[in-house]
This record gives sequence, C-alpha cells and structure tokens, in this order.
Amino acid sequence: FNGAAHLVRADDSDAATNRRRRPAPPGYLDEQFSQVEDLQDETSPNFTEEVVSLFFKDSTRLMTNIEQTMEKYPRDFSRWDAHVQQLKGSCSSIGASRMKNECTSFRNSCGAGNIESCMRSLQKVKGEHAALRQKLESYFQLLRQAGPAGMAIRHGGM
Amino acid sequence: MAAAAPSPVPAAISAAAKVASPKAGDRKVVPVTAADEVEQEEMHVLAVDDSSVDRAVIAKILRSSKYRVTTVDSATRALELLCLGLLPDVSMIITDYWMPGMTGYELLKRVKESSQLKEIPVVIMSSENVPNRISRCLEEGAEDFLLKPVRPSDVSRLCSRIR
Repeated sequence: FNGAAHLVRADDSDAATNRRRRPAPPGYLDEQFSQVEDLQDETSPNFTEEVVSLFFKDSTRLMTNIEQTMEKYPRDFSRWDAHVQQLKGSCSSIGASRMKNECTSFRNSCGAGNIESCMRSLQKVKGEHAALRQKLESYFQLLRQAGPAGMAIRHGGM
Repeated sequence: MAAAAPSPVPAAISAAAKVASPKAGDRKVVPVTAADEVEQEEMHVLAVDDSSVDRAVIAKILRSSKYRVTTVDSATRALELLCLGLLPDVSMIITDYWMPGMTGYELLKRVKESSQLKEIPVVIMSSENVPNRISRCLEEGAEDFLLKPVRPSDVSRLCSRIR
C-alpha cells in the first residue's frame, strides 16, 4: 500500500509497518486523531468513522451558525468569537489541526475587530473543512480496501 | 441528542461472576471473586458535554476502562436526572466547563450544595487553560480539572484515585 501512503503521510517515511508515536508533522490531522483511532476496538469497530461523522455534522452546523450570526449581528465580534471557539473545540477533539489553526486566526481577527480578515478567515475555515472531509473520505476508503491489513496503515500524520 | 443514554452492562463481566438482582431498576453487579480474579464493582460515570464529538470520545475512553457511562448534553439535564434519583449509583461526574445554559461550574456548585449529591466527585474539562478558572473550580470542590482534548491517560489517572 505504499503507493497510497502519500494520502496519509505528510512526509515520505514508510507508513505501512507500525504505529509510531512520533509527533505528527503539521498536516491535516495531529496526534489527537491517533488517540481517537486508538480507542477503536472490537466492541466499537467503526468508532473512528463514527466520531468523524459526528464531527462533520457538528462542524457543518457550527459553520452555518457562524455565517448566520455574522449576518444577523454585524460587528458583534464577541458573539462571532464565541461561535468560532465552539468550532475550534470540535476541531481540537478530533485532531483537525489545520482547521483548528484557521479557527485560531479567525478568533484573532474577531479580537482585532477586523471584518475583512474575519470574512477571509471564514472562507479559509470552510476550505479546510472541505479539504479535510475529502482527505478523511479517501483515508477511510483506503482502510476499507485494505481490510484487516488496514490496521498497519494507520495514520501517523495526514 | 437530548436524552440520557444509559449504557448496557459490558460483556466483560462474565455471567458466572454476575449475581443479577431481580429488581428491574437495579444495575448493581455484586462481584463474586474467583481465587485468582478480582471483579471490581462497576463505577458509573455521568459525562456531561454539549458537544456530540466530545461525548462520544469521553464515553469511549471511560467504557474502554470498563466504566458504565451515562452521557447527557446539558448540565440542566444532568441535575434533573441526579435530583430525580434516576442515577442513584453515580460515582463520578465529568463535565465540560463551558456549555450553553448552565455551565459545568454552576453544575459543580449545585452538586456541592446538595446534601444528596455533594459526595460525588466532579471533574471539570475545558479546552481553555485559564488559571483563575481552574483555581475557582478547585476551590468550589472540583476533584480535578482536565484540559481538552482529553486523553485516556488523563482519565485513567483520575479514575484510579477515585476508585
């Protein structure tokens, strides 16, 4: 499965042999994602996918809230910030590091009271969300194709 | 996800070791110890978090450590269940700090003010590392304060103290 390893690794070291506990490179997902994967077991064999699915449901809702809030309460930066904070928390829980970082930027823009940079941040967050969804869909598809051997292609840094 | 979801007794407790009570509402398992095996009485943890992602993760962490878990999505709901006596055997409450409506901090205070509930250890979780917040919670009687994202090692460390 080395050919598909580039989908899950940000670097080109061999992903197919073992789960390693080294810090993940600044990719789409960080160590927290590995922690979530580690919880998967025989009693909940689809745990990771279930949590990811909850994340996308939750984050989509939160992003819609953010957009609606920005429209309904123009310049209410602390209100915007509260919503972004919730979204950031969700990202953090599954290890969505790039999206989380964009949320941090967004919060900084709210703190600075800068509308244009808030708007840009919103677009970036949406972009990261879409990209992450794609990455994870590919990743889960890969694992399904790999079958039992898929346990060896565990993510170490996406 | 508004309703509490009590989890079934895990299969890990073998039929031979379980002495089932005839009462329908009784979820206590009376351990029968074999010569080389000690079955601990199951700890029932109430997990409170408005985030469905966090509820799923914390519940799984706890269940993987063989705890029984009830999850609720609000502090109000948690208090309702506790005060109505629907969760008589809760041995720990783990709650998010910031939630819409009642916060985890307010839940902590209510629990500690209640003669019925005050002995239950309460652990607060938060994604923000705010020293004032942490000390306020500890002063109010919180057992511990965990930073999110919560890891299995955080939880096992804390549960081994409470057992």
